Amino acid sequence: MLNGLNLQIREGEIIFILGTSGTGKSVLLKNLVGLLTPDEGEIWIDNEEVSKFSEEQYLPIRKKCGMVFQHPALFDSLSVYENVAFGLRRHYQLSEEVIHAKVTKALSLVNLHGVERKRPAQISYGMQKRVSLARTVALEPRILLFDEPTTGLDPVTTTAVNQLILDLSRELKTTSLVVSHDMNCALAIADRIVVLDKGSIVALGTPDDLKKSEHPLVKDFLAEVLEA
Amino acid sequence: MIALIAETLTGLFTPPFRRKEFFQQLYFVGNKSLVIVVFCVCFAAVVTILESSFHMKMVIQNDSMVPGFAALLILRELGAIVSALLLSSRVGAGYASEVGSMQITEQIDALKMLGIDPVNYLVVPRFLACVLGGMMITIVANMACIFSAMAVSQLYLGYTPSMFLTSMQRFVDFKDLIFAMIKGACFGGVIPLVACYFGFRCQQGAEGVGRATTNTVVVSSIAIIVIDFILSYTFSYLY
Repeated sequence: MLNGLNLQIREGEIIFILGTSGTGKSVLLKNLVGLLTPDEGEIWIDNEEVSKFSEEQYLPIRKKCGMVFQHPALFDSLSVYENVAFGLRRHYQLSEEVIHAKVTKALSLVNLHGVERKRPAQISYGMQKRVSLARTVALEPRILLFDEPTTGLDPVTTTAVNQLILDLSRELKTTSLVVSHDMNCALAIADRIVVLDKGSIVALGTPDDLKKSEHPLVKDFLAEVLEA
Repeated sequence: MIALIAETLTGLFTPPFRRKEFFQQLYFVGNKSLVIVVFCVCFAAVVTILESSFHMKMVIQNDSMVPGFAALLILRELGAIVSALLLSSRVGAGYASEVGSMQITEQIDALKMLGIDPVNYLVVPRFLACVLGGMMITIVANMACIFSAMAVSQLYLGYTPSMFLTSMQRFVDFKDLIFAMIKGACFGGVIPLVACYFGFRCQQGAEGVGRATTNTVVVSSIAIIVIDFILSYTFSYLY
């Protein structure tokens, strides 16, 4: 799926990964956290080569990485509150008061109020995506991986989520990798943008660099922004 | 599959132990399957009695050994295997679709990202519940089988319950019940392992979940029959 890909991500930056469907964007994210294993090549996170790590060795890596999946990936049998608290209970020895405060804060970051007791099936898809985001943010990871975080969200929430990604990066120095189809958003908040095509990088640079790119795929993405 | 079995067996001794989930699964496997299993095995017992009687009368013109033979057949084979095949369609299909749906909606990946081993979280409580549930259902199914066989023997063959029990005592040993329980536990253990194996490998979409469910029922049914042969063959040296 990925071929000859060489990408270095700096601490604290927001990097958008764009590309057409099936080009390997989600595969790239899943390779980084060991959900998929690369056939060959190396993946370095914080001076550690992690591509050959076992599931157990990946645990500390996953503790510092949070991932928002393409699907909300909420646990159906748990309430919204329990979903957000799930990772906190697993990773940290926190009192219920602290967990409650963190869950409430995470849910308010994604503009969700009064849904704590509901089950995922009882709220809309957009709300589920936001709960998923809250679950990830609640753990305060140093590296955040977003797999199409705004797909299926209304424009107001999309703007709020993009602002959240920006705030986390600027205030908490969180490194964010965002897989998206949204060039408009990428141009607005990304430090750098990667454009993938057939598993390879065809363009990499700041939003201003991308605007000058002559690559047809990049031009197509930019044309859509101009049309919008 | 071997890796999944090894991980599950290791998981049995690896905390955290999900007691609440285990009891929920035990309720699902045991209590909710009980009526279907008892209903079906009773009919299987009735057919066994009637068929045995018909053929014995045809061959040796006497069906006096039917209660004993039927009780032996029920305890050694019928109760355990019919229950297990019913469980594989009900519980196995349910597990495969549940785990398969979790796989395609990235819930399994989310578990891994939250530092949770999906085998320990999902497979181990289901495995334990099915082993224990399979064993308990086998005992209940055997008892239901024996009672229905006894009733049919009285109604159609004219053997009173005391005659039935006397005949049964001559053929059946306490070991038979123990071996039936071992069979029930082994059959029960196979079901969640096969279901979770196919669930974890579920492909995208409703078709993928459907395929995982079908494969689970087919493979677990075959596995149950093969394991039944192996266990019966092994137990035959212990009588």
